[in-house]
Amino acid sequence: MNKKEIVGGILILTIITSLSGYLLAYVYKVTKPAIEKQQKIEEDNINKEIFPDGVEFHEVEQGDIKYISVLGSEGKEIGKIFTTTSPGYGGDIKIKIGVDEDLKIKGVKILQHNETPGLGAKITEKKFLSQFDGKGKEKIYLKKDNSEGEIDTITGATISSKAVTEGVRKLLETIEVEKNEN
Amino acid sequence: MKIDFKNFVNALWKENAIFYLMLGLCPFLAVSSSVRDSIGMGIAVIFVLAGSNVTISLIRKFVPSHVRIPAFIVVIATFVTIVDYSLAALSPQIHRNLGVYLPLVVVNCIILGRAEAYASKNNVISSLLDGLGVGIGFALVIFVVSIVRELFGNGTILGHQIFGANFTPFLIMIMPPGAFIVIGFFIALKQGIERRGKKC
Repeated sequence: MNKKEIVGGILILTIITSLSGYLLAYVYKVTKPAIEKQQKIEEDNINKEIFPDGVEFHEVEQGDIKYISVLGSEGKEIGKIFTTTSPGYGGDIKIKIGVDEDLKIKGVKILQHNETPGLGAKITEKKFLSQFDGKGKEKIYLKKDNSEGEIDTITGATISSKAVTEGVRKLLETIEVEKNEN
Repeated sequence: MKIDFKNFVNALWKENAIFYLMLGLCPFLAVSSSVRDSIGMGIAVIFVLAGSNVTISLIRKFVPSHVRIPAFIVVIATFVTIVDYSLAALSPQIHRNLGVYLPLVVVNCIILGRAEAYASKNNVISSLLDGLGVGIGFALVIFVVSIVRELFGNGTILGHQIFGANFTPFLIMIMPPGAFIVIGFFIALKQGIERRGKKC
């Protein structure tokens, strides 16, 4: 390969990469507000789904823990919404967990995951998630792991089911410790 | 400029990317277990293939052959990222379900294969037709296969229950081996149709 060919190759690649860089920056700028809006709508919907009788949702920061405080129609706090992550089969699973005043689960939703479509991705389905509703931490184990447990494993997706279950229980444990300390 | 229409039909059916060339099977196996995700994937592949084929055909005379592979990959990655952003803005749900397979379209060998084998040697309109043909061929096949897999593997189509609640799904259909089995049956069917056509 002579000098001219090398310089030509570098030049062409530089032009192509910078052009696509500009193009992508433009597309990013155009789509960013829409993406953020979608995420916001989605989050609001999820909050509302977990606490249908919630009127106001405030973000609160308490030490290291961030949560959303949910106020009922009388202006009193009826629960909190926490966000946590748990390592699944294809990376971290981001989970939203609604907890009522008695530290019982009000609702669990999956915000983000990279589980296998058709198998692990079933953790987002109501059939699996509704199992958590109304339960305290002592019952949040997979049935096959602990005789107290009341959560059914998704067939073919043990790791994903376990990740969500552990994630939810660990969060409840953390909150309880925090509550007792105060 | 000679426009190659025959190649469009050829790419669509006879030399179909999945049933004949058997390229791009990895994302195909992963995504074809759900009809909704398959539609998203199909559209993404059509757009990326058509876009990258046109762009590569346009720049084919300027790109020296020893840097063509990185140049093609940059072009393809650009289109994939555009699809990624747009899908996140338009349909977050499909975007979430496709997950890692959408960025992986970059390394889908169908797309680089068409860039290398066709678009880098042919004019813009023929390349566009080729990209559309291969892309639509891929989209149709993934759509049909996903209907079979979701129906038998989950008892649903697009999330609607088809068989009653008592139906026990054949779990293997949702898993990658199921995709191979379904593809096998379809390839046999395609071969059968072509053989019969020849006899007449």
